[in-house]
Amino acid sequence: MNLRRTLAAVLLTLASATAVWAGQYDTIDYYVQQMIAAAATKDQAGVLTFREQLDNQRRPEPGDATQARPFRQQGLDHLAGNRFKEALAAFRQAFIADPADPEIANQLSLTYLLLRRLKEAERLAVYALSLAPGQSATWFTLGQVYGQTGDTQRAAGAFANAYQFAPDPATLTEQLRQLATTDPADAVRIGALQALQAVQPQTPPTSLANPGIPPVPTAAPPPQPAVNSLPNALQPGASLGKPVATPPPASSPPQPAPAGNDNLGQRIYRRSLPITCLIVTTRNGKTDNLGSGLLVSSDGLVITNDHVIDKADNLAVKCGGRESVAKIRRRGKSPDLALLSTSLNGADRFILNATYSQDLIGRDVFVIGNPYGLEGTFSTGVISGLREIDGVRYIQISAPISPGNSGGPVILHDGTVIGIATMGLKVGQNLNFAIAAIEISAAGFFDPSRMKNQPASGKP
Amino acid sequence: MNNTLLKPVLLLAAWLLAASPAFAQNLESNRYYVQQMIELASANDEHGIVAMQRMLEQNPRPASSDPAAASAALQRGLAALRQDDQQTALMAFQQAVQLDPGNVEAANHLGLVHRKLGQWPEAERALQQALSLEPARAVAWFQLAQVYGLQNDARRAIGALANTYRYAQNAMRAEEILRNIAENEAADTLRNAALATLQLYQLPVATVIVPPLAPHSEMAPMANPASSSRAPRTAP
Repeated sequence: MNLRRTLAAVLLTLASATAVWAGQYDTIDYYVQQMIAAAATKDQAGVLTFREQLDNQRRPEPGDATQARPFRQQGLDHLAGNRFKEALAAFRQAFIADPADPEIANQLSLTYLLLRRLKEAERLAVYALSLAPGQSATWFTLGQVYGQTGDTQRAAGAFANAYQFAPDPATLTEQLRQLATTDPADAVRIGALQALQAVQPQTPPTSLANPGIPPVPTAAPPPQPAVNSLPNALQPGASLGKPVATPPPASSPPQPAPAGNDNLGQRIYRRSLPITCLIVTTRNGKTDNLGSGLLVSSDGLVITNDHVIDKADNLAVKCGGRESVAKIRRRGKSPDLALLSTSLNGADRFILNATYSQDLIGRDVFVIGNPYGLEGTFSTGVISGLREIDGVRYIQISAPISPGNSGGPVILHDGTVIGIATMGLKVGQNLNFAIAAIEISAAGFFDPSRMKNQPASGKP
Repeated sequence: MNNTLLKPVLLLAAWLLAASPAFAQNLESNRYYVQQMIELASANDEHGIVAMQRMLEQNPRPASSDPAAASAALQRGLAALRQDDQQTALMAFQQAVQLDPGNVEAANHLGLVHRKLGQWPEAERALQQALSLEPARAVAWFQLAQVYGLQNDARRAIGALANTYRYAQNAMRAEEILRNIAENEAADTLRNAALATLQLYQLPVATVIVPPLAPHSEMAPMANPASSSRAPRTAP
């Protein structure tokens, strides 16, 4: 009898020890998958039930947050500079120091995703959700992971949960729209679209999924066209920031019309106008130059061309009817960029799009700026090519631009900024060039804590 | 000496005389069980490992001759370790283990200091003692894996790393540590052992591409321990 009892005890110990060891990840993964399945079928109660199960899981011991913090900051800096391997090393150290921080776990997962290490990305995202089941950013990462693996259904469920738990549903909607329209992976686009339709049934089914776009391997380096020698006319003197004999600006700046049943161009114009800036420089007490710029942070950072502010004593900036003096925070000749600080605080700002790939060619672009002082002039065209000139990546566009457009945004149909209008050829027609937005981060003008960026991924 | 004092002293001496051979015998069998756990882990024999763990856990703990003095010595050792004074730490931990052979903290830290000093046999012995007292102590398995890995004992390094992962309080953290070693560790045996451990548990890891050796020895990079590119060996 005693022997039998002892044997039973040993067997029980064996069974429970095995379950504890092997089941740690499997258990949380099971609940996460149930939340995804429930979200995909709009089963709100199911989502909440399994979230509660996750909430009841034993949390790991808190780690050393003080030790983790500098590693995490390093990771963010590397991510902003598209140095993914370095970001991985830094986030790994942060995670090892403090494995109980869900944001660090999600950032590590995101870095694995950017490195196309999808299995690791999935495991870390699932783990992060066990720490914080309501963390929208992790669901968003996980949705992309599943989309990259071609699993549309799970991508849609994860994106739906990202929306469900989003602290700012409007921003998340915009992010989902961007994925639905521009992500090169079919399952990501379709998953994002399905999630949008699930949470906002009025979302049009045809315009967003872009099924015609072939998937592009995001890890592959973007193919570069051969750089031909350009005519002499493409010189700094041909740049667009020096209007000679500028006519007086319009007496009152254009006001965006109320939203209605309008087309894409009208929507882009209406959204972009309040965050596109007129830049006026003075020298020796007199107006010297006019140019354009764009608001890129909620605390008033404005990007423009360096040649717009060349030799200026003072700078004034006017964005959507609001005015401010500006100070130069950073500037450089190559690439021809400047970052200004202003007092124009506000939630709305442009999102930079760091894509630079052949897949962009042929896409519609919209340009808004102040040619010859004509404030808020809006024009359209297409991306005609990619050019690298003196080591700087440019996007060639057919949208007409003139002196005064310099420093203004070149916008894709999803509202993200793909380039900064900079110069054009004096010969030919509509042969204009914008500094690719990817150069903003490559040249150190991008501040990840204040600006928004659509990471470089070879996808528009 | 008065009788009331003499009696307990004699009793203690008699107990120690009787217990010591048994304890010494236990030490040897305990090391055997620890080695068995390593062998079974490298073969992923889960039930065998748990059985060995049970055997170790059923052993009575060796008695302490002076727990308070042992605890004080342990604290001195930890303080010295924080100051990176390894010789002082070594002496303090040795004293703590002598005074209290059942103190797992002291044995584990003694192993740690021996490992840092490159004293492999002593490190192995101390860590085996720690594991015989607490076979589910992941941090001791991790130390032991490094001892084996740095001695090019691949098989035992894999077994010890496998037990590190098995007993880690946070499996995801242990997994990430293993990946870090598998992708960045400079010592070939340890790096490959981490890779093999991840594969043993079917955990994802990037394929490691090792640069070819320099064709001429004079062209090999100079070793600089101070700026070694080894992955940080953080305890799980």
